[in-house]
Amino acid sequence: MTASHPVIRKMTTTFKLCAMASAIVSAGLISSQALAATPAGTLVIGKAADPQTLDPAITIDNNDWTVTYPAYQRLIRYKVVGGKGTTQVEGDLASGWTSSADGLTWEFKLKKGQKFDDGSAVTADAVKYSFERMLKAGQGPSEAFPSDMKVDVSSPDTVKFTLTKPYSPFLYTLANNGASIVNPAVVEKQGTAYLAKATAGSGPFRLVSWQKGQSLILEPNPYYAGTKPSLKQVVVKIIGDASSRRLQLENGDLDVAEDLPEDQLASISKKPGVTVAAFPSLRVTYLYLNNKKGPMSDVNMRRAISYATDYSGIIKGVLKGNAKQMRGAIPEGMWGFDPKAMQYSLNLAKAKQLIDGSTGKGATLNFVYSSKDPNWEPIAISTQATLGALGVKVKLENLANATMRERVGKGDYDIAIGNWSPDFADPYMFMNYWFDSEKEGLPGNRSYYNNPTVDKLVRQAASLTDQKERTKLYQQAQKIVINEAGYVYLFQKNYQVGLRANVKGFAFNPMLESVFNIDTMVKR
Amino acid sequence: MAFLRMIKKRLLGLLLVVLGVSFITFAISHLIPGDPARLIAGDKASEEIVQNIREQLGLNQPLYIQYGTYLKGLATGDLGTSIRTTRPVLEDLKAFFPATLELSLVALLFASALGIPLGVISAVYKDKPIDQVVRTLAVTGISTPAFWLGLGVIVVFYGKLGLLPGGGRIDEGLTPPAAMTGFYLIDTLLQGDKAAFVSALKHILLPAFTLGFVHLGVVARQIRSAMLEQLQEDYIRTAKANGTSKWGVILHHALPNALIPSVTVIGLALGDLLYGAVLTETVFAWPGMGAYVVNSIQALDFPAVMGFAVVVSFAYVIVNLIVDMLYMLIDPRISEVS
Amino acid sequence: MNAMTEQTLPTAPDIQPAAASGLGYFFYKVKKSPLTVAGLFIILFMLAMMLFAPWLATHDPNAIDLMYRLLPPSAEHWFGTDEVGRDIYSRIIFGSRQSISVGLFVVAVSGVIGALIGCFSGVVGGRTDRVIMRLMDVMLSVPSLVLTMALAAALGASLFNAMLAIAVVRIPYYVRLARGQALGIREMGYVKAARTFGASRWHIVSWHVIRNALPPLIVQATLDIGGTILMAAALGFIGLGAQQPTAEWGAMVATGRNYVLDQWWYSGFPGLAILITATGFNLFGDGIRDILDPKQKGK
Repeated sequence: MTASHPVIRKMTTTFKLCAMASAIVSAGLISSQALAATPAGTLVIGKAADPQTLDPAITIDNNDWTVTYPAYQRLIRYKVVGGKGTTQVEGDLASGWTSSADGLTWEFKLKKGQKFDDGSAVTADAVKYSFERMLKAGQGPSEAFPSDMKVDVSSPDTVKFTLTKPYSPFLYTLANNGASIVNPAVVEKQGTAYLAKATAGSGPFRLVSWQKGQSLILEPNPYYAGTKPSLKQVVVKIIGDASSRRLQLENGDLDVAEDLPEDQLASISKKPGVTVAAFPSLRVTYLYLNNKKGPMSDVNMRRAISYATDYSGIIKGVLKGNAKQMRGAIPEGMWGFDPKAMQYSLNLAKAKQLIDGSTGKGATLNFVYSSKDPNWEPIAISTQATLGALGVKVKLENLANATMRERVGKGDYDIAIGNWSPDFADPYMFMNYWFDSEKEGLPGNRSYYNNPTVDKLVRQAASLTDQKERTKLYQQAQKIVINEAGYVYLFQKNYQVGLRANVKGFAFNPMLESVFNIDTMVKR
Repeated sequence: MAFLRMIKKRLLGLLLVVLGVSFITFAISHLIPGDPARLIAGDKASEEIVQNIREQLGLNQPLYIQYGTYLKGLATGDLGTSIRTTRPVLEDLKAFFPATLELSLVALLFASALGIPLGVISAVYKDKPIDQVVRTLAVTGISTPAFWLGLGVIVVFYGKLGLLPGGGRIDEGLTPPAAMTGFYLIDTLLQGDKAAFVSALKHILLPAFTLGFVHLGVVARQIRSAMLEQLQEDYIRTAKANGTSKWGVILHHALPNALIPSVTVIGLALGDLLYGAVLTETVFAWPGMGAYVVNSIQALDFPAVMGFAVVVSFAYVIVNLIVDMLYMLIDPRISEVS
Repeated sequence: MNAMTEQTLPTAPDIQPAAASGLGYFFYKVKKSPLTVAGLFIILFMLAMMLFAPWLATHDPNAIDLMYRLLPPSAEHWFGTDEVGRDIYSRIIFGSRQSISVGLFVVAVSGVIGALIGCFSGVVGGRTDRVIMRLMDVMLSVPSLVLTMALAAALGASLFNAMLAIAVVRIPYYVRLARGQALGIREMGYVKAARTFGASRWHIVSWHVIRNALPPLIVQATLDIGGTILMAAALGFIGLGAQQPTAEWGAMVATGRNYVLDQWWYSGFPGLAILITATGFNLFGDGIRDILDPKQKGK
């Protein structure tokens, strides 16, 4: 082989040119410093993950609702009073409703002039179509409704729901994302899978583009019958890394940043032009204790764990004070909350005594968690440390979230951790889900708690309509489950979101985390 | 005709690879404990609803039937439907693959543009201080955890200095170019949108640097050793004796010949870059396949994971093939040997 | 992970058996190469850290204190504290045990298994050889990080399972290398001679082939240790490595990522530890490759 080959010579020259070009271009870029604020009239929301599906009949993920909730309307919505979200409801598509005395039939009258984003009218037929489509899909959202519920059109602007047995939370479930009314004409024309990637509703906004993994753009629905939104455009930007989200908020590339860890929020609140909005929420964090098998089936062992938990250390240290210790299962802010319910507190001596008197003495416990919530690991480590000091070995297992659910669903754990937030404003979401032995496993009773007395009390409470009577029954049941330490009731956490200071009018609703009221929010 | 024979043989091999890769990923995805239907249904769903979803997705069928169905689809170019996003996997990958490829190519360009000169200098000044510096740099490159370097450059260049954007592919105010090649840098140029091009370029610099830094070491090391070999050859001495200047000999004779064996290494590096992009993408919010596949694994979305594996291994084999073809074009002796 | 794949096959050392000509010469060359010596020193330093961790650490690496979280570096906590108030310096010292032993374990397991399969395949030849090599091609084509992630997820997150997953993924590289050596050696005069003298196939494998294929395998293994440490760190980074409270560098970088803007030291120091360790093994591996590579020897 002697001199160089022509192809190679060409390649070398190309490489040289490229190197030169890139050097010049990058030099030019570095000198031009330009990090602009977001355009006026456009609200940019930074989220951790891309929505998965936008079909209201399928999604059970709040992360998807950021887009779907403002794109659709429902019969009912949560009232906003004085700029604050409440757990009371009012009509959205419905102008009013009546129900029979036995609570089995409900009739809703539709407001006049409500239109989908293609200009067609929202009719009673569309309501019937949407509910039947959702029930027929038989996916997550249908869980909130009785499967034998019947929907009928009594007149072009009246729909009737018929239930077979009384279900007291029914009215509230109509404000769920799953109860969104979709445009039947679009679904029929484009196929049912179309709604996974597009919106076809009558809400104040509609989706105009979706760059997968990157951004979604919403613009006002020109046919929306309610008050015209002040925002001209809403961009949902997907930024997986929390630190990047925070930096973009600080630099003005984002107007709203979701899902920021506690420690980051603490530093952000000191930066100019940024505020951290905190709202009391109904989201609770608690430990599941396996009541069915293993050492945790002994009530003394469960009480011991409840006494060996460093509540104030966790709340002050890990959560920087942005949380409140729970009093039993029903959180503060939900009707039925009992301000006098008993609270456990860190008491190592008592815990030691309980452990010595229990069958679980000397056992090694496993504690399963995942990285889904960054606070779980520090809590797990703290539990491990306090129990370790009492001679109880705890083996931590950080699992993939799906695997963790599988283990919990099979009852294959001793201690596990979870978050819970209600889908509708009713203590049913806590008492019936957590303690009814019929809901054992993942659906709700993840501790496998089983007590016939409690079963009877919560089931009775679910069949009544009188709130006072129901409160009494739930509080009675709650006393038992606290005493028997069915779970470790850790804390309810504030919902916090980082906002640019010129963003106003955000009304948080505890049932609708990750949903922004972009129809009434403004940017000054 | 060795050329055609090689291509034929490779394409047959490709079939085998796709079959093998899909089987391995299918098998492993089903070993992961967890139930994708439960993930879709949500925590609170009853067993009845979960069962219903299982049926809808065909997850209640025996595994061999599920795999058979998958292969049947694959034969017609259908990668199945993602459990997580409910969209066709092919559609999802089409949306993400160009971003990953663009990032990998720019990273490769960066690695070559710096790695080749460094390798040459290092070889020419073998054992001199500058050689030690370059070699240390090269080794540091391959020893750096890319996710860690990525975090560092974001903090410095975006957070502290505010020079470059901290994530994404293009500025928010700008509309992404209509997809022609799917590469923003090329599409914006084709459409003559200068502002969008500059924005896209700014966005790709940090992730490409992070990803390319590791391969800078690979390239520099390879070029160095190939150059050392060439500089020993007789023709170099002959050229020197003929009065060609030192750098003339190096750049016009030694380097081109040293590049021949290096093409394979650099080509294979592209395959590695495609894989390696996974973690870099998650750090930089780069909307490529990396974040998609990580999420898919966590959601037990095995059609998506298999689709990713099949597409990437396919690309890997094709890249290899192209590299070998280049190799044969450049150096005809090889076709005779094989 | 990009770092693990840098030693793709073409860079695999091409070493003739005759290259290993005496330990004395080897050490002489090592001493003459400052980078190799530096690499060796780093390795020795890290091994010392592993062995003497309990004496080097200033705190109990697992002792938590929720009231003293995320403190900056100080005289009390040299590298600051983490999100549950543990001493980061002590955790890095103890973390060396996990991170470095992963490298050694994976390379040992995948190297031995890969070498055996490769030699076997090369010596036996024929259809068996073709089947084995096709299988290896397939394994090489599966995106390695995805394969490792999926394997680790399937086996359950633990350091041991992460090591197994990485080892499985690394095997094909050694198979190819060893097979190539075996093919070359098989054709050499003395092996042919041994065969004509009636030595059995297995004798040939166990004695001539393995012995002669060893030097290049050792070089490859040394170069691989650095890559493996990075790979393990990458798995730790996505939560598939060592479990709490055990300290592991990759997992520390990952957790520290949440705090990188205010507490850069949290992910900064463990990341630096990974970088230095991997650099040490790579420098040393590079050095001995140069020494054992005959093409460079005469220069």
